[in-house]
Amino acid sequence: MKLGGAKLQRKLFIAAFIIPTFLYFCLFTIYPIVQALYNSFYDWSGMSQNKDFVGLQNFKDLLQDPIMLTAIGNDYFLVAGKMIGIMVIATFFAVALTRLRIKGAGFFRSIFFIPNVLSVVVVGILWGFIYNPQIGFLNGFLSLFTKEPVTINWLGFESHSIWMLLPPTIWAGIGFYMILLIAAITNIPESLYEAADIEGAGQWHQFRHITLPLVWEQMKISVINIMMTTLNGSFVIVTIMTAGGPDNSTQVMGSYLYQQAFKQAHFGYGAAIGIAILTTSLITTLFLQWLLRKDQVEVS
Amino acid sequence: MTFTVKKTAAGAMAIAMSLAVLAGCGGNNGNSGNNGGAANEPAANSATNAAAENTAGTGGETKLSGDFTVQYFVGGYGDKWWKQVIADFKAANPDLNIKEEAGPQINTQNKPKWIAGNPPDFVYIDGPELNDRQMAEDGQLEDLTDWLQTATNVDGVKILDLLAQQPPQYGGKIYNVPLVLNSWGIFYNKALFEKNGWTEPKDWDTFLSSSEAIKAAGTTPFIHTGKYPYYINSSFLFPAIVSANGNDYKLLQDMGDSKVEAFKSPQVLEALGKIVELRDKGFIDKASVSINHTDSQMLFLQNKDAYIPNGLWLPNEMSKDVPADFKFGFIPSVTQKAGDKVVANTSTSTVAIAKNAKNKDAAKAFLQFIFSESQASKFAELSGAPSNIKGDISSSAAPDFVKQAAAFLTADTTVVVPTVTFNQDVDKAMQDATVALTIGKIDAQGWVDRVVKVVEKVAK
Repeated sequence: MKLGGAKLQRKLFIAAFIIPTFLYFCLFTIYPIVQALYNSFYDWSGMSQNKDFVGLQNFKDLLQDPIMLTAIGNDYFLVAGKMIGIMVIATFFAVALTRLRIKGAGFFRSIFFIPNVLSVVVVGILWGFIYNPQIGFLNGFLSLFTKEPVTINWLGFESHSIWMLLPPTIWAGIGFYMILLIAAITNIPESLYEAADIEGAGQWHQFRHITLPLVWEQMKISVINIMMTTLNGSFVIVTIMTAGGPDNSTQVMGSYLYQQAFKQAHFGYGAAIGIAILTTSLITTLFLQWLLRKDQVEVS
Repeated sequence: MTFTVKKTAAGAMAIAMSLAVLAGCGGNNGNSGNNGGAANEPAANSATNAAAENTAGTGGETKLSGDFTVQYFVGGYGDKWWKQVIADFKAANPDLNIKEEAGPQINTQNKPKWIAGNPPDFVYIDGPELNDRQMAEDGQLEDLTDWLQTATNVDGVKILDLLAQQPPQYGGKIYNVPLVLNSWGIFYNKALFEKNGWTEPKDWDTFLSSSEAIKAAGTTPFIHTGKYPYYINSSFLFPAIVSANGNDYKLLQDMGDSKVEAFKSPQVLEALGKIVELRDKGFIDKASVSINHTDSQMLFLQNKDAYIPNGLWLPNEMSKDVPADFKFGFIPSVTQKAGDKVVANTSTSTVAIAKNAKNKDAAKAFLQFIFSESQASKFAELSGAPSNIKGDISSSAAPDFVKQAAAFLTADTTVVVPTVTFNQDVDKAMQDATVALTIGKIDAQGWVDRVVKVVEKVAK
């Protein structure tokens, strides 16, 4: 009886934490998803009182929409580019600031983290100025080395303008993942490195065989997080910097959703794009989980 | 989309407007300000009467009462005029409980009410996420066709007779009445032209010859807002289509009604050919394609580019950044043949009554109240833009360029094109295609093919 009471208490205790969170989760995550799914079956302007049920028509249209294909391509381009760019640079910085015993590591840590504090909107506007063909910093800098002033229109290429969105997003993303990896690296017992030193292992070997395996879990989380935030959040930087242009060449799913739902009065279609973002995120997460599976190494 | 423009302009305009008001208070106009207030009284009274007449048919009471909700977006034109006209209307109808739903975000904030069938009674359609054509198609707006045929304003003047620009029609019906009257066109710097001895453009030939001279002098002739291509479409392409069509804007209206044949007409190709000519002669600044309105306007103000397609709000919008020696020159269109009329493609914002309005009598009375001659000057003064109400504003305290614009839009030598609201899909397709055209991705026929594809889908 007493034991049962304790069990009940324990359950109550757990429930006290889980139930409110679960309710919030349902209200703010599950309910919108269900709503989006519901709307995606309708032809709805987003303003009208009437919705026309069209079944799967929005999804059929989606598959035949050339802009949607461009958007998906751009999304995955950004995902791949950011994963590589951010992970390589963030890892390098993290290792440099912890293992290489650089002077003023704290200072650099703060400096590298600053872009993370800026809102994406600010980042977009800032890089807009850097890329500006007439008064931009980049052309101004390049012009130092040429006779004629450089007037490259960095965001105005017929195609491949999406490449230009990589530097700002990578720049803005490094800080957070660097801090994450620094925390992981500082958790690794110093004795492992000391032993490696005695054995004559160089920095690279230490990184390859001690650091990397022991921060693998954090790297995995970072990669998956970069993927998810990119698929869900590229919308902002695209809208600010190119508005999806020129001629839809930098459209991503998020910006196209916004365009369709709020500017072209196809709310149902926009909802279908939202479902597509959700689906692709889920599939990619599962795929990455599988790809990055590796026996966890733990320090005992 | 003009909201981006207007939002940015808001600050500049606010200053300009407060200056205008201050000037009005300080000078001789101070009296007229008081008179204006006094003059409101009789007008206000007649508002009640007009409303009474209006409701008389349905056996309504003379006095307006109950709740009356007005939704208005606050952007580049500010809210001073709205605040004043609502206060005046309230003074004339003390029993009416007027609720203002306003702000730069109001369109988004009020959306759920519209969807739920609980909209405000009266709406000013401006800013993002509100599109008059879409609202009419969605069945959100009251059909005013019959009512407007006889409706008079507070002074007993027929409203339709008082409008500089007639209301748009969707499916042959009138749902909304234009309140603002602005124009798209091409700007240049008169001072720069004088200094360099360039001829100011009168038509397509002089525009081209001046562009040659400008280019030879090392300045880029033409910059546009490639990130938001409706600037070049509205200021250059649409007037060009009207000119090519012998100044008959019916073709443009047919395009607005998504008629496939209109887009396939040779006049459209001819107009597009003019953009191609600009492109092939290297007149278009290569920076255009990726920049927004502020950036393109800055480059224009720095004399890096000679011409910019824009709207008449530009001087106000950029007032803080205009160099002292800069003199705005403006022509509504440059694509007409020598000796032909200029074409002013107007830009407007309209007002409407919600179909599900709870106080339609008050909404109609308010509409009758605001479309009075006395409001023409007040609107121009307080909003910094010409209103759609015919009326002499030359003696008002409105900014000079507003007076000039108003004069321009009433001149005989101008073809004034009533604002055409396109289907949003078609509009976007045209914008994308124009950008693609300016960077040589497609040719004029490619533009037509692309847009026709979308129009066919929309027209279904």
